Amino acid sequence: MNRFALAISAAIARVTESALGPYQTAVIRIGFTATWLLFLLREFPHRQELYGPDGPWDFDLAQQLIGTNGSFTALIWSNSQFWFESVYAFAVLTSVLLLLGWRTRTMSVLFMVGVLSLQNRSIFMGDGGDNVLHLMCVYLVFTRCGRVWSLDERRAGLAREARARGERARPDRLGPALWGVLGAALVSVTVAGRLDGDLTVPVILWGVWLSQAVWWIVGRRATTPEPRILLDVVGNIVHNGALLVIMAEACLIYATAGWYKIQGSRWQDGTAVHYPLQLDYFSPWPGLAELLSSSGTMVMLITYGTVIVQVAFPFTLFNRRVKNVLLAAMITEHAVIAVVLGLPFFSLAMIAADAVFLPTSFLRRLGDWAARARGGLSRLTKRGDDPTELPAPRTPENPEHAHVGFTA
Amino acid sequence: MDAYDAGSAARHGPGEEPRDTPSAVAPSPAPPASPTSPAPPASPAAAAPSALEPRTGVAALSLRYQIGAALALAVVAIAVCVHTGMVFLHVAPPNTVTKQHGKAIDDWIYPEFEQNWKLFAPNPLQQNIAVQVRAQVGTADGGTRTTGWYDLSAQDGRAIDGNLLPSHTQQNELRRAWDFFVATHDAQNRPVGLRGALSETYLRHIVELRLDRANAAGEGGALERVQVRSRTTNVRPPKWSDEQVSDKPTYRMLPWWSVSADKASKTDRAGGVGAVSGAEEGAR
Repeated sequence: MNRFALAISAAIARVTESALGPYQTAVIRIGFTATWLLFLLREFPHRQELYGPDGPWDFDLAQQLIGTNGSFTALIWSNSQFWFESVYAFAVLTSVLLLLGWRTRTMSVLFMVGVLSLQNRSIFMGDGGDNVLHLMCVYLVFTRCGRVWSLDERRAGLAREARARGERARPDRLGPALWGVLGAALVSVTVAGRLDGDLTVPVILWGVWLSQAVWWIVGRRATTPEPRILLDVVGNIVHNGALLVIMAEACLIYATAGWYKIQGSRWQDGTAVHYPLQLDYFSPWPGLAELLSSSGTMVMLITYGTVIVQVAFPFTLFNRRVKNVLLAAMITEHAVIAVVLGLPFFSLAMIAADAVFLPTSFLRRLGDWAARARGGLSRLTKRGDDPTELPAPRTPENPEHAHVGFTA
Repeated sequence: MDAYDAGSAARHGPGEEPRDTPSAVAPSPAPPASPTSPAPPASPAAAAPSALEPRTGVAALSLRYQIGAALALAVVAIAVCVHTGMVFLHVAPPNTVTKQHGKAIDDWIYPEFEQNWKLFAPNPLQQNIAVQVRAQVGTADGGTRTTGWYDLSAQDGRAIDGNLLPSHTQQNELRRAWDFFVATHDAQNRPVGLRGALSETYLRHIVELRLDRANAAGEGGALERVQVRSRTTNVRPPKWSDEQVSDKPTYRMLPWWSVSADKASKTDRAGGVGAVSGAEEGAR
């Protein structure tokens, strides 16, 4: 009994005193924003046909459907070309800024607005990849995903250095200004009745906006450190809850995909993989498909392997080593799907979701490589001034080391 | 899930979280000069709660604030459990609980958390469904002529061939519009509710766009009516299989639609909205 109580209190301490998985949340932030950004750039020539007011799913049709389900999209506020182009540009801009981790929390909200605005405008254009992004952009809002590998981290580091040198930090003017502008926008769309549909998104928008105000006021006005610590604790709890939801969502994706497959006769007789490769819409490389499905044993192994991996994955989370093996298998499979079935953005989104399960040590090494690659690049342009290279410690004990060069 | 959480945290103790360590390892302007002095792995944890950075977490709070933290923890814990449970019930097969509480689940999930992960499941699609269209064109000299069939799906397929980055306009637009149409129409091609009407207009817009691009109307002509059909062919079983399937295509022919009746779908706004809620989103 005593042991149980101890375990509980240890767990409570853990979820309240820190935002767990800083590297994992940073990597999914980068993964999802990069996926969306690349998608938007790729579809730039087709943007009118996909989401424009005069596309096949035109403004009138969208309005009727959204009238029935109340989903959120800023594109329904006006049918003007200018508004459409602005929202598209806004979606591109916010994904860049969230990718870089600039004002992460605010950008995560704006990123969500961009994703939902475009996707909900033309819901029938999307596929599984869009579906993943749709969910994850909402969950990301609740995480502290800019703790590492972000401009925010760099800013915080510079401020810390300045404080260590005894300088007084300059007050942040941009933050409150941004808050004010966004607040004015939020108030006006609410008053104009634009948020009268489903409650989910308006609640998130208002909730984040108000809590940022509380955060700022407490940071400046509180006379004791306790209110600030309490807010920090609440932020950690929300972050950890959202991280859990993200991981549960990834597990549900695999579990659903796997368990439903088990019931299918083609997955049972070991020929399932043959069929998608023969569909006109999913066979960009007929020769490659032919090659893959030339051996019955091969197809059967891939078919069974897919099901086994998908069904097993959630359970392997209880064992770190097995989990990592399966993770590698799934990331590989998605990379293959990207090319063979012609689903690059679906695969990217899934790999980004998988990345939440990557081990911290691996992610740190990844950050190290990125930093070194960057260092190498800059040394090519201006000749050597960085003598730290040769005996670099293999896995740095110091978490700062892994990313300081990457973001600085 | 809990276990993973705990497991991952066990690999890197809370002391190593960057948030707790800045005082110990503040990035200095000079590069870390001495790789010979190995930092003891546990030291940041021991050093962090010292002078500069005050200790955080509930332990640093007085009882009054601890109650606030406990409240927040309870609310978030409940929200996480409810949301995860709702999503689970949403993706699970119909069961006792979903039959009793379907309305509550749908209210929670729709519209923003809708999802479907039956990816190529239970069985992958084993038919190539091609959407084809032909048009009746009013010609410049006042007559009419009927064009041949344009195989729009074959055009999509060619656009996807050898393409590393297929566009949604090639891969999803027509394919899903047809799924939407089939899901919201009965066997006699009669629309079911508002969604049926919407899907008809949508499909018509797509084929009009495609016919325009192909310049189907020709010089001085104008599209008057369009007719859509689907051509379904079985994918041949793999060559090592002794299974036999018919390789004769089957057709589904839709009635002629007038191009000008653009706003027809608007009249049906009230009809049967709830009846088919989400049926076609399920197809994605």
